Amino acid sequence: MENFSEVLALFLSVDNFLAIAAGVLVGVVVGAIPGLTATMAVALALPFTFSMEPVTAILLLVGIYKGGMYGGSITAILIRTPGSPASACTLLDGYPMAQQGKAKKALKTALYSSVVADMISNVALIFFASYLAKIALNFGPPEYFWLICFSLTIIVSVSGSSVVKGLIAAGLGIIVSTIGLDAVYGTQRLTFDNYNLMDRVSFIPLLIGLFAIPEVIEFYTSKVAPHIRTAVSGASLTWKEFKGLLKTIVRGSVIGVIIGAIPGTGATSAAFISYSEAKRTSPRKANFGKGEVEGVAAAESGNNGVAGATLIPLLSLGIPGDVITAIILGAFMIHGLTPGPVLFQENLTLVYALFCGIMVSSFVLVFVGNAAIRYFSLIADIPKTILLPIVLMFCIYGAYAVNNSTFDIGLMLAFGVLGFVFNRTGIAAAPFLIGFILGPMFEDNLRRTMLISKGDLSIFFRGPITWVFILLTVASLIFAIRRYWVARKEDALA
Amino acid sequence: MEKSELQFAAASESHYGRCNPNSILGGTFSILALGFLFYVIPAFIEIPAYMQHPLLSPRFLPQLAGWLVLALSLLLMIDGLIKPPKRSETDEFRRGVPIMRQVLMVAAGIVYVLFFEELGAIGSGVLASVLLFLASGLRTIWVYALAIIFPAVVTLLFIYVLNVPLPPGTLWESLSLI
Amino acid sequence: MLKFVKSRVRNKFLYALTAVSLSCGGLVQADEWPEDNIRLVVPYSAGGTTDLLSRKVADLLQKELTTVVVENRPGAGSTVATGQLARGGRGSDHMLLMASPGHTIGASLYPNLRYDPVADFAFVRNVINIPNVMVVPGDSPYNTVAEFVEAARKQEMSFSSPGIGSSVHMSGELFKNLTQTQLVHVPFRGSGEALPALLSGDVDVAFENMPTVYPHIQSGKLKALAVTTPSASEFLPDVPTMQDAGKGYGLETYETSAWFGLIAHKSFPEEGMVKLQAALDKVMAGEEFTKFLPQFGAEAGTVVGDDFRQFVQGEVQKWSDVAEKANLKR
Repeated sequence: MENFSEVLALFLSVDNFLAIAAGVLVGVVVGAIPGLTATMAVALALPFTFSMEPVTAILLLVGIYKGGMYGGSITAILIRTPGSPASACTLLDGYPMAQQGKAKKALKTALYSSVVADMISNVALIFFASYLAKIALNFGPPEYFWLICFSLTIIVSVSGSSVVKGLIAAGLGIIVSTIGLDAVYGTQRLTFDNYNLMDRVSFIPLLIGLFAIPEVIEFYTSKVAPHIRTAVSGASLTWKEFKGLLKTIVRGSVIGVIIGAIPGTGATSAAFISYSEAKRTSPRKANFGKGEVEGVAAAESGNNGVAGATLIPLLSLGIPGDVITAIILGAFMIHGLTPGPVLFQENLTLVYALFCGIMVSSFVLVFVGNAAIRYFSLIADIPKTILLPIVLMFCIYGAYAVNNSTFDIGLMLAFGVLGFVFNRTGIAAAPFLIGFILGPMFEDNLRRTMLISKGDLSIFFRGPITWVFILLTVASLIFAIRRYWVARKEDALA
Repeated sequence: MEKSELQFAAASESHYGRCNPNSILGGTFSILALGFLFYVIPAFIEIPAYMQHPLLSPRFLPQLAGWLVLALSLLLMIDGLIKPPKRSETDEFRRGVPIMRQVLMVAAGIVYVLFFEELGAIGSGVLASVLLFLASGLRTIWVYALAIIFPAVVTLLFIYVLNVPLPPGTLWESLSLI
Repeated sequence: MLKFVKSRVRNKFLYALTAVSLSCGGLVQADEWPEDNIRLVVPYSAGGTTDLLSRKVADLLQKELTTVVVENRPGAGSTVATGQLARGGRGSDHMLLMASPGHTIGASLYPNLRYDPVADFAFVRNVINIPNVMVVPGDSPYNTVAEFVEAARKQEMSFSSPGIGSSVHMSGELFKNLTQTQLVHVPFRGSGEALPALLSGDVDVAFENMPTVYPHIQSGKLKALAVTTPSASEFLPDVPTMQDAGKGYGLETYETSAWFGLIAHKSFPEEGMVKLQAALDKVMAGEEFTKFLPQFGAEAGTVVGDDFRQFVQGEVQKWSDVAEKANLKR
């Protein structure tokens, strides 16, 4: 057990604790600012870590990552502005809860779901990394293809009042996602010879435009409504309620861990799959999307479950699953370390010191998160007449900052108008977002599969993983259709 | 049959007529989808010179999505014609909004879209915020001070702390004010 | 109120005019080149390889010259930022850009660029080169380039890349052209997605950047058949170069690498160029730089000034031919 003391010697330093605390704090704050994502915060913090000790440097970045994952939900709940892409799902129930004066409960639910999911994710990282990494390696293009097909079925459960309208929105989202240079042939698709569209439509302007801007437009096209105080005055989350949510949170975390361990799928999908699963099994189905606390718990546990798990392919295989882990990989390399099996052989103490730090970061998140709730919820006390112009300003700056391009500002406001039209006509915006995210993945993996197999279609059924996802897709579809008919009948009787 | 017609008649007061939002929406979307499928796709998506399989075509996914939207819009339109949706009360809230309020909002949007680079992040932020405060008819002076302080502080924060280069404004540069 | 503002503006305007006329006289004696911070534009998002390398170089460079501010301007490959630099304007005498293969490949791939990748720029120097490695899965039956080419002439094989137009993709297309084989390109989004497909044998071969595949070559999950640089890499001393290993298969001239170098607007002041090159020489001879390189499997850049320009000119031509044959040319 002499290793253990070495690990502690490496981990127990003031610098490390400071790095974790600072990282989580920066992550939460930046994540909460619309348009600034955890990815950006990690990228911007990277140069500062060059001169640090390796463990300290990586813990700082991991801290920002985890803080950012949670931070995004704060503004999503309070002002319907998703601070990060993954929190678009938290918003579905979080914002209605805030409108009903239950902002505090929503924020606390989000926080504790995040923390629990985070811990489960860490445990998975520490104990099941090698096993999950093997699954990840078995995911070739055909397996991804079916996973995406399964993910597409969640559109039905986030479609709000009308499934038909939801599917239309998803179709539109897919169409928008195909704008840009073709991934296989490099030909132009719907770019209309516009330079700014060649790299496809930027994600952040679309996200903010779709969710935050319609609130602004709605406000200025309605009569002035009396200000509703949504802040800390409301009830908090009780222990009893939390226990009731625990099943949903654990399920969401497990979904997050699995999705996170497979490179390239992402926290947003995990949040929506978790949400859809919770809705399917909940006795209060009908309340989802109207301010259901379970929906918040499902979404947040799904997206935070991903955070620890994306480190699985990174540490055990050296494969970054998303942009953030790619940046963390860069940090490893700057310090002369190469993640992968070799890291476990040569720098095992360092790996365990990292694990200690990652566990600690979850606890830090509890404190930072609670403080953040206290101060951020003050913004809900500001009357909308003053708040909304300032929110709009943040959104504009954020959209510009992504690519330093004024085109993106126009794009964001255009999506804002679209989102507003959606609101007025009863079309849910979430399916549009899912179509936009999953459309390219569907196409890419379909095409990769066809290219690899040279046109032989049997590759789509090549192994147990493909069959598992085919069955899940079919089951999910049957379930959705049945529920649609039941709902229609009830509607006709009413 | 008769029974359902009776029900329909009784319910029709709280329902829209034939010209209900769903049919209009479905109709509009089907026309747009047709335009997309038969004009936009052929005109703006090139087919590469060499293609291994039709499933690999750059037009495959847009076409699939286009047909999906077309089919569902038709469904929505027909559904709306057969079974008009109920009216909602929120509509009342949206009537009688002063036109000035909406015009000022649009003006603020235009400031951001067209003059962001010219006026700079601070300049456009201040101007748009003032326009939006005017739209809400705010009369207190300190609120307008906020409209100046906030954009300035946030811009400086973006530039110097987060290292995000927001535009300083080409107009001020050409006037050599900064 | 408005009148007051107007008069203020007019006053300022007058001041400005005076200032301009005064500074015109000062133009002649502008011998103190870094009058301002240097802006180093990275034409890709923060956190990528180009970004990391640029930030390190900026960090070292500012110890020699003056503050170097790194700005990320991603978009349409690297062509948006490059186009902005080509247009010049205010501050372009203190602006640098970290060019990479995207600069030369993008010129063929993106339609109607409004700049010439060679004529519109001043070339400072090539700072870093990262070799590509031809790798096959560990359990692949092919152990040499010759075996692979023989097999690829009989059956269709596939190669992966992190995206269309990347140096990894174009290296594969070049290989395909020179060896007259039918390799199918399977594009992914980033090396993180491409690597698992290669490790599991879903694709047959890749021409990946050294740092991406190096740990997997070490652990035996991938086999390195050749390096793409003209001389063997110090990281993989036992692996032959493509030019040697591919003799008799048309690969005698094969050479690719991911190069990174600083370029500027064509009107960049002569004096600044001299000072910059001197500072870069100092940086690249320094211990910190030479220690930093191996972490990325990288080598110090070689070509400076006009040689660098000629190198880029050659690259533009090479990729333009490859892109034409691969039906990628716009």
